[in-house]
Amino acid sequence: MLLTENIKLALSSIKMNKMRSFLTMLGIIIGISSVIAITSIGASAEAVVSKEFQSFGMNNMYVYLNWEAVRDQPIQYADLILPEDIEALQARFPDDILYVAPSISASSETKVGRVRGKLGMTGVAADYNKFYHMEMIHGRMINQSDLDGKRDRIVIDEAASGYFFNKSDSVGETFTVTLNGESRDLTVVGVFRKEASLFDQLNTGESYTTYIPYSLLQTVDDSTSYLELYINGDKDQTQLGGEIVRYLARIKDKVPEFYRFESAEVQMDMINSVLGTLSIAIGAIAAISLVVGGIGIMNIMLVSVTERTREIGIRKSLGARTKDILTQFLIESMILAAIGGMIGTLLGIGIAAIGMGIAGVALIIDPMMILLAVGFSAVVGMFFGLYPARKAARLDPIEALRYE
Amino acid sequence: MNEEIIKIEKLSKLYENGDLSVKALDNISLSVTQGEFIAIMGASGSGKSTLMNILGCLDRPTEGYYYLEGIDVGEKTDDELSEIRNRKIGFVFQSFNLIPRTSALQNVELPMIYGKVKASERTGMALSLLEQVGLTDRAHHMPNELSGGQKQRVAIARALANCPQIILADEPTGNLDSHSSEEIMEIFARLNRKEGNTVIIVTHERDVAEFTDRIITFKDGSVIKDENLKGVS
Repeated sequence: MLLTENIKLALSSIKMNKMRSFLTMLGIIIGISSVIAITSIGASAEAVVSKEFQSFGMNNMYVYLNWEAVRDQPIQYADLILPEDIEALQARFPDDILYVAPSISASSETKVGRVRGKLGMTGVAADYNKFYHMEMIHGRMINQSDLDGKRDRIVIDEAASGYFFNKSDSVGETFTVTLNGESRDLTVVGVFRKEASLFDQLNTGESYTTYIPYSLLQTVDDSTSYLELYINGDKDQTQLGGEIVRYLARIKDKVPEFYRFESAEVQMDMINSVLGTLSIAIGAIAAISLVVGGIGIMNIMLVSVTERTREIGIRKSLGARTKDILTQFLIESMILAAIGGMIGTLLGIGIAAIGMGIAGVALIIDPMMILLAVGFSAVVGMFFGLYPARKAARLDPIEALRYE
Repeated sequence: MNEEIIKIEKLSKLYENGDLSVKALDNISLSVTQGEFIAIMGASGSGKSTLMNILGCLDRPTEGYYYLEGIDVGEKTDDELSEIRNRKIGFVFQSFNLIPRTSALQNVELPMIYGKVKASERTGMALSLLEQVGLTDRAHHMPNELSGGQKQRVAIARALANCPQIILADEPTGNLDSHSSEEIMEIFARLNRKEGNTVIIVTHERDVAEFTDRIITFKDGSVIKDENLKGVS
C-alpha cells in the first residue's frame, strides 16, 4: 500500500479522536519538551560560562602556596614566593608567562568632596591592560616606575570617574584611601573602560574596580603567597601549570605539592563537565517519561486495533496483505509519536526561552538535539506500535469480519 | 465462454471446539462455469456461509481441493490469497461492511489502493463504478448518511473495483426492505447478463433466489438439491 495513503489514513484517524490522540501524545510531549528544555538550558549555560571565562581571561592562571600541604610545619619567609622567584619563573618560561604579579587586593572607603564611595583596589604590575582587555580612554596604565618607586598612583574606570568627579577625564585628581591602616592620597593617572563581566557584576557590589601598583599593597615585606599569571594561550594549560609549579618547587627545594596552580581553562572545563553531567542526568530522567509515553501509545493502539477489528477484516477481504495492515498501524503510532515529539520540541524550546529570558541569557538550541528528539520519539512510536500493529495484521479475516 | 471457473472436489470443513467438532461442510464437490448466476440456499448452519468464505479465499478447507481458474488455492500463502481476493473476487456482505467515516468514493477506491492502482486513475474509475450503481451524487457521503440500499450499492461498486470475474454476495438483501432488495438483485442480474460476471449469492429467500439461474440447496453441510432454472444451458 502506498505510503501517502497510510499517512493520510493515520492523520484522519488521529483527527477523529482528537482528545484521545492528544492524551496519548502527552507522555511523549512531556518527555521531549523536558529533554529539549534541559539540553537547551544546559547548552546556553555552558556558552555563558565560556563567554564569561573568555572575557575574564581564558589564559589566566594562579600559582599559590598549598596551605594544606604545609599545615604541620611552620611557614618560613623563604617558603613564600619572593621577587627573585618571580624573576626566575620569567627567565625559565619567557615565552609562556606573558604577565606575572603577586595577586593582592584591598578595598577602602573614600570621599571626594561630598561624594562617598568604596574602591576595590587590585594590585597590578606594568602592562596589565595589555592582557586583560582594557581600553585606556584617558592617561596611562600603572607602569614599571610606579611599581619600583611605590608611587601613590591609581587607575580608575569610567564609571568611577563619572561618579566621583562628574567627568570622564579625571587624570590628575586624587583619592584619599586607607591602605593597611595608613591614610594615603592616590593620584589618578589613567581612566579605563572595560565591559563588565558577570564576575565583575557579582564581585564588586557597591565598590568600583581600580588598579594600583601591587608594591603599594606589600607593606610588611615583598613576599607573596599568591601569583597571578597571564600565560601563552597556545599551550595546554594543565601541562604548563604543572611545569611551572614543579619548577617553582625545585628552585625552592620543596616537594612538588608545596605549590599549586589553578587556571581559567581548567576551572571552565570543570564547570562545563559538571553542567554536562547534570544535563545528561536530568535528560536521562526525562527520557524515562518518553518510555512511559511509548507505553501510552502502545495502550491506545491496542484499543484502536480492537475497536477497528471489523475494519481490519473488511480491509483484508478487499485484498489488504499482512504487510499493508502492519504498516497502516505502525505509521499511525509513529505519526502519533512524531507529532507529540514536534509539539514537545516547540514546548521545550518555549520553556527554555522563557527560562533563559528570565536569566537574561541568550538561548542556544542545538539542532542536532531536535533531530534526535523527534527521531527518537518516532522510534519510540515504532517500537511500541509494533506489537499492536502485528496483532492487527495477524487477525483472521473471518473472525475479524464477525467481530461486533 | 463456458470455462470452468470454480471447481471444488471432496471439500470438507471441520470446526473443532475442544472435544466438540462440527462438520460445516461434508465432502462437497461442485463446479461453476464462467458467467453463471447462482443462489446458494439453506437454513442457517447448513454450511452455505462457510462455503462462501472458502470460495472467497477468506478461509481454507480442512480437506479437499479448491481450484479457482484452474489454480489450486490450497497451495497459496496468505498474502497470495489476499492478492486473489483483491483481483479476482468482489465481496458483498449482508451488513454492507463499508469502512466507517470514510466516504463512498474512498470506500470504492480501497481495493484499488491495495491493488496498487495509481492515485490519479483511481478516483475516475471509482466515480464510474458509482455511476454504474446510480450513486454519482452520493460519492462524497459518509456511510452513515446513506440508506441501506445505497450502502449496499456502494458495496457492490466497491466489489467491482479491480474488475473481478467473480462476485460473491453473502445475504446481500438480508438487511434490506423488499424494494431495495429488488434493486440490488437487478444490479446483480445486470452484471451477470451485461458484464458477464460470475455471481454467487447466498440467501434464504426464495424470491431472491429466483432472480438467478441455478439454485444450490444446502443441508447439514451437504448439497441436497442443485436446480437449473434456466432449463438446459
